[in-house]
Amino acid sequence: MLSKTLAAAVLCLTVLGLQAGSPERSVIQILTFSQQPQFDSPWRYDNVRRSGGSGFVIKGKKIMTNAHVIAWAKQILVRRYQDPRPFQARVAYAGHDCDLAILEVDDPSFFDGLDPLEFGDLPAVRSAVVTCGYPAGGEQISFTRGVVSRIEVQNYAHPGHRFLLAVQTDAAINPGNSGGPVLQDDKVVGVAFQGVPGLENAGFFIPPEVIRHFLKDIEDGKYAGFPEVGMNLVPLQNPAYRKFLGLPEDGVGARIDSLRPGGPAEKLLKKDDVVLEIAGYPVGSDGTVLYRDNRVSGAVLFQMVQDGEPVKLKVWRDRKAIDVEVPVAVYRGDRLAGNHYDTPPRYLIHGGLVFTPLSADYLRTLGRDRPDASSSALFYELYYRRSEDPEGARTEPVVLATTLAHPVNANLRVRGKVLVNRINGVRIGSLEDVARALEQKKEGAHVIEFAGQDGMECLEREASAQANPQILETYGISSDRRL
Amino acid sequence: MIRPLLLVLLLIVGVAPVNAAESVWEKSVVTVEVTFKDYDFFQPWNTPTRSVRKHGLYVGNREVVTTAQYLPTETLVRLQKGGRGKWYAAKVIWFDPHADLAVITSDDPEFWVGLRPARLAKAIPQAQDFNLIRWRDGNLESRRVEFSKFAVKDGSLSFAPRLTLELNTDLGGLGWAEPVTLDGAVAGLTTSKSGNTCNVVPAPFIRQILEARAKGRYPGMGYFDFVWEPGENPTTLEHLKLKGPGRGAIVIRVPDRPGVEPVLKPRDILLEVDGFPIDVAGDYLDPQYGHLLLENLSSRGHLAGDTVRMKVWRDGAETNISYVLPKAQYHDDLVPRELFDHPPEYVVAGGLVFQALDQPFLRGWGEDWRRRAPFRLQHYQNSAPTPERPSLVLLSTVLPDPVNVGYQDARLLVVDRINGHRISTLADVVEALKDPKDGVHRVEFMKGDTLQSLLLDAASMDQATQRVIRRYGLPAAQRITGPTAQQKAQGTKSGA
Repeated sequence: MLSKTLAAAVLCLTVLGLQAGSPERSVIQILTFSQQPQFDSPWRYDNVRRSGGSGFVIKGKKIMTNAHVIAWAKQILVRRYQDPRPFQARVAYAGHDCDLAILEVDDPSFFDGLDPLEFGDLPAVRSAVVTCGYPAGGEQISFTRGVVSRIEVQNYAHPGHRFLLAVQTDAAINPGNSGGPVLQDDKVVGVAFQGVPGLENAGFFIPPEVIRHFLKDIEDGKYAGFPEVGMNLVPLQNPAYRKFLGLPEDGVGARIDSLRPGGPAEKLLKKDDVVLEIAGYPVGSDGTVLYRDNRVSGAVLFQMVQDGEPVKLKVWRDRKAIDVEVPVAVYRGDRLAGNHYDTPPRYLIHGGLVFTPLSADYLRTLGRDRPDASSSALFYELYYRRSEDPEGARTEPVVLATTLAHPVNANLRVRGKVLVNRINGVRIGSLEDVARALEQKKEGAHVIEFAGQDGMECLEREASAQANPQILETYGISSDRRL
Repeated sequence: MIRPLLLVLLLIVGVAPVNAAESVWEKSVVTVEVTFKDYDFFQPWNTPTRSVRKHGLYVGNREVVTTAQYLPTETLVRLQKGGRGKWYAAKVIWFDPHADLAVITSDDPEFWVGLRPARLAKAIPQAQDFNLIRWRDGNLESRRVEFSKFAVKDGSLSFAPRLTLELNTDLGGLGWAEPVTLDGAVAGLTTSKSGNTCNVVPAPFIRQILEARAKGRYPGMGYFDFVWEPGENPTTLEHLKLKGPGRGAIVIRVPDRPGVEPVLKPRDILLEVDGFPIDVAGDYLDPQYGHLLLENLSSRGHLAGDTVRMKVWRDGAETNISYVLPKAQYHDDLVPRELFDHPPEYVVAGGLVFQALDQPFLRGWGEDWRRRAPFRLQHYQNSAPTPERPSLVLLSTVLPDPVNVGYQDARLLVVDRINGHRISTLADVVEALKDPKDGVHRVEFMKGDTLQSLLLDAASMDQATQRVIRRYGLPAAQRITGPTAQQKAQGTKSGA
């Protein structure tokens, strides 16, 4: 059996034309045992799930992989190329916005004889690449070859609400390939990370630009994330609009349609400013820049610098070009609208009423049934309120997720899936507000008002406080809060 | 051999054509064929038509009553008696989609020969089985249907609630105004069927509407224009200082209607409505139909403009109020549920297609529109109109033309302003487009993550619009027939 396996590997190498450096030796198999919390019962966890992924050795005796490979991990085991021994690994850094992570292995002997892979540059479109990893369908390392199909900004499915540069290839990228290196001339030119349902022969990998940004970010020992500038750049291709702004029909310059309140650009740029250059790159009238022979969204250039660093812009304003330096910043205001990882959800339980932040993860627990007025209000609050009504937006909207049945709350008609507006007169902008509003009340019943048409409910103050320990015990909850 | 024969016999009995006693319905139940405009709301200038057949009930005075569904946009109505043979030209002489009733007549005297008026029941007893009558393949079919319950529901075409008779049956294809009978009288007409539940508009309700119409005093359906919740939580009632046993429903929202001074306030507890005590579930005990939602008291013997007496608990004391029932009107909603009073409106300017945001437009996404139509547009249905913005206009799509290059992908955006003018109706759009600034039209959309503004050359707009009309085969650049923003803002409500 051994000789057959070796023969197959050799054949594979020959076919794929890999160099003598044998980079596959530095490709790691990762087994993750993860457990995800239940966002509508935030003290509880789903069943333990086993999943497989790939990674590769980088300098500093570390392993790079995808963040989604190790998300919610309770245990991570790594295996070397053709070595049956599992080694315990742990997460050193996880960049969930860019779907990259760094692992460390407790046993330093794991890295014996393994050379770190080097990073190359962004591969050219049509150039050949090879993916390495441990996809589903077998236990041994797998290689697939393809070409770079295109390079542009894509939605990163792991965070859900982030768009970064990505490379599309026709090399097969299957479950288990995630985190594995994409090689060209024995250098890593990408990290395989996702496919798109419905697209055939299309896998995506994270390019060197994003990988290097991540590695530089963590040099100070903590991960900040990918920054942005807080502006909505839209094409400026209508002749009348260009003429109105005094611009020629030369295909240069995209228009700022809106600026995010509180964003880095809000005080430095204006609506209807036309961005002519970003970091020295001319901006096309469609909002793209020519970056290494690829037309990609100009937003990419703001993602090349680190949190807090400035980016130089040339802007057309009042019929003349001016230079503006705009600092970029990591935006966390929409964190609840994206997928959440590794930190269990916050909650507070009082009188059996379970309060938790409104998040994309929580909304998913409502299923895909026909939206009713209540869930519609939640959806609006999470995804639209911030941009449409920034003054009315809450830092952390809170929902009454569910009610743990007990005589003290048995008469409540509203029992969950609603947005909490006020408690005892206090507007609820975070879970801390809930705790404060409940603790401050010294007489009378607790009055809980819901947003939309869900009215209000009252809860006996003393009885609910007294019942809380019993409720926690009945439902097997170790603490009434995780704040 | 015996068994198959018995089975055949039983089957014949099971789908029995009417027996002698029931055959009187042949002279009262007629077939109504309706051809109606089934608008394409994504291309509102198109008016495709569709035909359906339903049932009607001869009620005397050369009048056939049926449900209103499909009649508001009819282009041709015909009647047939006896379930077969000649079709007679007919016309709708009255309809009200909120009541879900219509009256049809025919000028052809031959049609009325041999017909006998049906008797509409004055009351409907509970817990009885009914017969459902319908024409099938030229024969009158009578099937037993089982009483389920009386409920209070919105109308098939209206948000105004009314008494509904629910029947249980596994019969398919119901909801086409088939009469339901009991003891020789008509108990109601079917309006819809969901699962095994068949909804019936009851005869007493039909009588009430028809009698008011006959007297020339039908002001329309009234409704309670407030939102309440059950007072089932004793702690909440205690918090609202209600003394005595638990009772009543708690008012939680009273819309702000222009020109209407609200007589109810949030946190009022409705104790009595029209003399009926309200229990903590929000029900009252109807002497004929048992426990029903208090909403029924807006239509039980009442029409729009009538005064309903209410006893409410407010600020720790009982108080009596007189609630004047507002008239149910579609444009009371920010996103109207229907627009039967006018065809879908549109304005095409420079290839930009502006349309009113209404539910028929959202239903353009098909049967599953609540899931498939854009969330943000749907969510406007949960917002109330304001005097400043009684309705909404959206840029529904762009018909590509040289003048709108760069905006071809702009669509489904709710318009805030055009040339600085606030936009609520398509008439506003037309007016605003008369006032370009600095040689351009600026269209601004509602605040959000989507496109916020676009700009078009004013000088070339008219020419471009004509070009678009020609290229895309539009009958006209605009069709505006609905109420103006001012009319919508003022409303015609006769509320409290």
